[in-house]
Amino acid sequence: MKPLKLLALFIIPLGIILAAVPADKTRRFKLSADELLQEAGAGVQFISPDVIADMLVQKDPSLQLVDVRTPEEFEAYSMPGAINIPLSNLLSDEYTDILNQDARMNVFYSNGSVYANEAWMLTRQLGYENNFVLEGGLNYWFGNILSAQAPAQTSPNEEFAKYDFRKSAATALGGGGVVTTEGSAPTVKAVKPAVTAKAKKKPAGGC
Amino acid sequence: MGPLAPNGIISENTNFLLAFFIGIAFGFVLESSGFSSSRKLAGIFYGYDAVVLKVFFTGAITCMVGLLFMSLFGWIDLDLVYVNPTYLTSAIIGGVIMGAGFIMGGFCPGTSFTGAAIGKIDAMVFVGGLFIGVYGFAFTYPWWEKMYMAKYLGEPKVSESLGMKDGLFGLLLIIAALLMFVVAEWAEKKFPREEY
Repeated sequence: MKPLKLLALFIIPLGIILAAVPADKTRRFKLSADELLQEAGAGVQFISPDVIADMLVQKDPSLQLVDVRTPEEFEAYSMPGAINIPLSNLLSDEYTDILNQDARMNVFYSNGSVYANEAWMLTRQLGYENNFVLEGGLNYWFGNILSAQAPAQTSPNEEFAKYDFRKSAATALGGGGVVTTEGSAPTVKAVKPAVTAKAKKKPAGGC
Repeated sequence: MGPLAPNGIISENTNFLLAFFIGIAFGFVLESSGFSSSRKLAGIFYGYDAVVLKVFFTGAITCMVGLLFMSLFGWIDLDLVYVNPTYLTSAIIGGVIMGAGFIMGGFCPGTSFTGAAIGKIDAMVFVGGLFIGVYGFAFTYPWWEKMYMAKYLGEPKVSESLGMKDGLFGLLLIIAALLMFVVAEWAEKKFPREEY
């Protein structure tokens, strides 16, 4: 009986301490500042808007767009299929499953790329994989994808291929000045085949 | 800081070397606690000897308290500690087979090796049976695969499914373990066995 009493005397107080202290909620950064600086410097987090446009048109299920702006801005406009995780709530527990996974590709976007980049840096330091940043943000998206400007006549063929792709992608995604003149219902049907044909050329233009 | 190997503080090879020494120490402790005697081990099922329950539960709660404190002090990241994934069907069937084998053979896998190491013939026979089972399962794996992989639950924690803090569950487990020890010692007196 003696050893049992001794054990009880020793281990019950320890158990009470453990039950009394709050659960450890601190998250430790898993990447050192050096490693992060290296990754950020190389720009590995950036995904070209052309790649995103292609994935959206193809309805690639592995793409998850994440809007890091405020809910009001998200309500006003969001990219197709995007979910809203405001930067200020990025670290809340409800989003951990979305941000820390290895099945899908999360692409953060904000108006420019500053906030999206902040979101990427935080998640990257926590050691999360598969998070990226939309290069140029919504501003570039609007200016160059949804309302692509025709290249000059003397431009190389790649420029024209890129322009063709962007124009058809814009129509398919229901954006840009083209759509407002044509109306939205017929455009989706009309453009789909054209886009899938063009999509093959896009990586050459985008990269 | 910890766990050491996943965080790259020690290499995989060092990890195996440490595991080797810990394994030897584990075997030594098992043998010196009398775990090489099948009569002593089987005693837990008949009530005359509860040393199995006491040693393993003491080990479990000591380890639990140690890990929770180390996590509290920031010495170890429990999210990185490997937890066996749960496949419910195979866990239940495996538990039944293991328990039946334990009662009939008088050893569990680890203790059969300690018994064999000090030259006990019944333990050597048990080890032989163990290998027949291991190879038998491996070679007929396609037959069992569906059942083996059924009801995958991920890596659930009891504290999480009960919705309580790890520390609180720890305290309850400690109390439960101590109560079991009291009952076990009562049973040892109630069902004594003269010679084993």
